[in-house]
Amino acid sequence: MKKIRVLLFKPGIDGHWRGILTVSRALMEAGMEVIFEGFKSVDTIVEAAIEEDVDVIGYSVHSGAHIEWTKKLNEALRSKGVRDNFLVITGGAIPHADHEALKKEGADAVFSPGTHTAEIVKFIRENVPAK
Amino acid sequence: MIEDPKRIAEEQEKWLLETEGLKERKEEFKTDAGIPLRSLYTPLDTKDIDYVEDIGFPGMPPFTRGVYPNMYRGRLWTIRMFSGFGTPEETNRRWKLLYEHGETGFSAAVDSLTFAGVDPDDPIDWLSAEVGKEGVPLYSIRGMEVMVHGIPIDEVSVALVVEPETSAAVTSMYFNVAKNRGIPLSSLRGTTQNDILTMTIGYVPWHPLKPEDLLKLACDLIEYCTAMGEAPKWNPINFTTYNYREGGIDAVQEIAFGLANACAHIEELLRRGWKIDDFAFRLAFHLSAHRDFFEEIAKYRAARKLWYKLMTERYHAEQNVSKQFRFHVQTAGSSLTAQQPTVNIIRTAYQALEAVLGGCQSLHTNSYDEAVCLPSEEAVLLAVRTQQVMREETGVANVIDPLGGSYYIEALTEELEHRIWKYFEEIENAGGIVEALKSGWLYREMNKAFERRRKAVESGEEKVIGVNCFVKEEEPVEPFRTNPRAAEIEIERLNKLRAQRDNKKVKKLLDELKRVCETRENVLPTVMELTREGASVGEITNTFREMWGLWDVPMMG
Repeated sequence: MKKIRVLLFKPGIDGHWRGILTVSRALMEAGMEVIFEGFKSVDTIVEAAIEEDVDVIGYSVHSGAHIEWTKKLNEALRSKGVRDNFLVITGGAIPHADHEALKKEGADAVFSPGTHTAEIVKFIRENVPAK
Repeated sequence: MIEDPKRIAEEQEKWLLETEGLKERKEEFKTDAGIPLRSLYTPLDTKDIDYVEDIGFPGMPPFTRGVYPNMYRGRLWTIRMFSGFGTPEETNRRWKLLYEHGETGFSAAVDSLTFAGVDPDDPIDWLSAEVGKEGVPLYSIRGMEVMVHGIPIDEVSVALVVEPETSAAVTSMYFNVAKNRGIPLSSLRGTTQNDILTMTIGYVPWHPLKPEDLLKLACDLIEYCTAMGEAPKWNPINFTTYNYREGGIDAVQEIAFGLANACAHIEELLRRGWKIDDFAFRLAFHLSAHRDFFEEIAKYRAARKLWYKLMTERYHAEQNVSKQFRFHVQTAGSSLTAQQPTVNIIRTAYQALEAVLGGCQSLHTNSYDEAVCLPSEEAVLLAVRTQQVMREETGVANVIDPLGGSYYIEALTEELEHRIWKYFEEIENAGGIVEALKSGWLYREMNKAFERRRKAVESGEEKVIGVNCFVKEEEPVEPFRTNPRAAEIEIERLNKLRAQRDNKKVKKLLDELKRVCETRENVLPTVMELTREGASVGEITNTFREMWGLWDVPMMG
């Protein structure tokens, strides 16, 4: 079976990296292929996601700007006509009260602090788009 | 107390027979750092400790019981809340509110742009989304003036929580504001967070400078304030082991990282030709208060002893003040949960008690909502009250080092001291902090530690109420939100300043800074002039980046 390919990045300049590093390890342990991009602009990420033909785009926000970044990423994906090619997941210091708003802006899943990494793995496996 | 080892050993044998066959809740009891624990500690566990040599009296070597002779009998610890959000105006209002409600020191939490040394109008991808979100935007002297407007900074100390890339710029903005208000730098009290590990392993900075350049900048501020005599009451650095600890390491690693890191800075200053007592009197620390109650208390005591040892045996300091390990404590943000957030009040109260029983000089208590947002007014006032209950109602500050002499605490203090020293030597074997940063050794250690912790929580071995046990369904709570107009306001503030300032002069000073970067002279005198003339933090930091280049952080280890 083809490995699930995941691209992870930090939008913006906030440097709270522990969460995304941890998720990156957990996904690798679960047998996925992880491309860890670090700090990247949304436009660069969209290009990279297309280029690398990944299945999942994941990003982590601890700055409180999760709604803004989700909106921006989804707009960029839609403008290239590739939104449905990817599963878009967001994590970080995100209040549960914002989950609905994030889903409205285009996040397929939102993982707040305290999430078991197995839950993220399960979500990806069950929802990765068929290509 | 009459402690006859022979009689005690005999009685202990009898007691052990009594416990034989009694089932225990767990197969093995260990501290958070993995130190195996007996079920009971007795004089037999402390019989090799020499009271005068190893424990002594407060304010006297080796300072195990506290750095001051009278500790909280004289003055209680400072209630210093890490606070900032939205705009300098809003932060100023929050600071005044906290002060009115009994806060006794301030601490500025800055936003991600101030941390990174980037202006809000820098053409980086959608930067405006982060203005004022994680802290107060302090992009120029204008913001700083507003933040401390009406705050009695001649009497109350302020901590500026930044890092070496921006420590010169942000501290000099504060110094210039104080000067403009007629307060001489010689009497100004406060602290700059300024060590090279805080923001490289606890947090990964955007476009960071290389470790040796960060070290240069950190030491420039120490040198300027202390050895050069410009701001002798200002703590130009507090080694923020809190941040490293938040990355998942244990109490042993926390202190060892802190000591090894201090050594890196000390050695750079000695290399510049200063004597240890020229600057060591203002080296301070910022520690964590984490889950394991007694281990954390023993950690503070062991840290004081080890600092004393380091300063006397390795650096031959003469003044007592150089040998006193002074520290601020923050309760552990990483122990807070987004689930059942009010439970965080209880966690924080226990951790705050650790800090006080451990003899901290100042304390920040987290607000219960901080797992997911900046503190609301209600949450932060409760956090202040948590400290006030301790100060006014519990009597815990009436006697110095009240747990000193406990067989358990003394044995644990000694065990931690040994383990910290051993790990400190491992760091030295990895080449010391600067080398260990560059080679990725430190990142490997951090990653290993965090993986261990994640697995312990996910397997349920480490219990977290509301996360892996006693879970309950909850309605989402509306979080505290920062000013959505912050970016607009700050860009306007900066534009106005740029229109008002003498741009020719600023340009000339920026050229002078480039020259200083080339010759590697102390940057502070030039940066003091720059911020006074209205240069922004971004303009100054970009000059460092341009002159010295960037560092590719080996964070995967």
